[in-house]
Amino acid sequence: MKLTLKIWRQQGPHDNGRLVSYETDEVSPDMSFLEMLDGVNQRLILKGEEPVAFEHDCREGICGSCSLVINGVPHGPERGMAACQLYMRRFSAGDVITIEPWRARAFPIIKDLVVDRSALDRLMQAGGYISINTGGAVDGNVLLIGKEQAETAMDAASCIGCGACVAACKNASATLFVAAKVSHLGTLPQGKPERARRVAAMMEAMDREGFGACGNQYECEAVCPKRISTRFIAMLNREYLRAGFVASGSPAEPDSSQAGPD
Amino acid sequence: MRRSNQFQTSLSSKVAVALSGLGLAGFVSFHMLGNLQVFEGPAALNGYAAFLREMPIVLWSARLGLLTVAVAHIALGIRLALQNRRARPVAYAVREYRVASMASRTMALTGSLLLLFIVFHILHLTVGLGDPSVHDQLDERGHRDVYGKVIQAFHNPFYVALYCAGQLVLGMHLSHAVSGSLQTLGVEHAALIRLFRAAGPAVALFVVMGNLAIIFAVFLGLVRP
Repeated sequence: MKLTLKIWRQQGPHDNGRLVSYETDEVSPDMSFLEMLDGVNQRLILKGEEPVAFEHDCREGICGSCSLVINGVPHGPERGMAACQLYMRRFSAGDVITIEPWRARAFPIIKDLVVDRSALDRLMQAGGYISINTGGAVDGNVLLIGKEQAETAMDAASCIGCGACVAACKNASATLFVAAKVSHLGTLPQGKPERARRVAAMMEAMDREGFGACGNQYECEAVCPKRISTRFIAMLNREYLRAGFVASGSPAEPDSSQAGPD
Repeated sequence: MRRSNQFQTSLSSKVAVALSGLGLAGFVSFHMLGNLQVFEGPAALNGYAAFLREMPIVLWSARLGLLTVAVAHIALGIRLALQNRRARPVAYAVREYRVASMASRTMALTGSLLLLFIVFHILHLTVGLGDPSVHDQLDERGHRDVYGKVIQAFHNPFYVALYCAGQLVLGMHLSHAVSGSLQTLGVEHAALIRLFRAAGPAVALFVVMGNLAIIFAVFLGLVRP
């Protein structure tokens, strides 16, 4: 199969970057998309050129490392799949495939198709956790959780933090990511004590990191490899409104930016 | 724990834009319903207009309230739009949308055009800048002849075209706005998701159809002077 690839090449964070065309004719329909890129890189290395930097790790759709915008869609044409699960049989001979990195102010490009997604880690540090005392393991079934609650929490927790939602959003917003974390933790008893503080801190952190605001277009849901529902965004919005009332009614505390348990 | 700035986030602005927007959507719905009285004849419409003007305190409070809501909606909307644009400094070379409607992608544009249309509409039919001669005519009961003004305006193909364009822009804006506002306010339920997603297009269709009915009834001569 012969293909034309237009790949975003950028030396480093401060380089301007541009799309570079590569012709390739050693593509088998059974190759995965990343294997195809491996082949391109192999030939670039043999020619003495710099290979294309792209991120990958597990290559089985669970780590969230791959971050390619393929023909204008994060993770490419398949639905509910990460780019690593995309196979070349999805394309036909002669296709032109444009490959770009996630584009967002909060995700600066490190090189070529690799972006720095530590902004998502900082959102987690702002509130994507629960505070518990360590010690002996809690006995099983001490905390009973209803099946529906457990299922909702698990649906939200299936987020792998790849950032495709940000890449797909017109406003480069991380709202679906924050919504998944807030809904996951806020649905379970272990996460409830901190829910008001969590949602406010995470939304504040999202603005601070330079993500945009949600535009209710639901492109994020349409590209999410784990099909996280935008219903969690409505849940996040409810949590936020609730926190506005709860937090304003909480007792006065000494001012300190050290985030502790509520 | 820090409480001071915690709720000054973009989401708070979005909630304010959603609430003010729903208020404005409510206004355009009732504005359309009130104007449908043109089908009941001059007495009904002029009587309705006179009734609204009978209570200047209420009228001006309502106008000031609307203006405040509109200014808040526009100012916060512009601020959010600018923030959102800054969030992606380098655009994609190739971009394909899967589900985003045309309306949702043009909210800033339709919002700006809508503002221009509203300013024109107020100058035209409320202030009467278009044709001052008709403006202060009275009907046989001594009410200001709003009916006559409407008839005269929509006999002019230029105004008909302009108002139709205004309705198109209004319909586009509303069709994304109402459903989006419900989502922003967290109004959502698994069983009712289709209802809430259809609310925007439904409200848009309702308002635009009502308004177009008035415009075309006059233009086609179904409603006569």
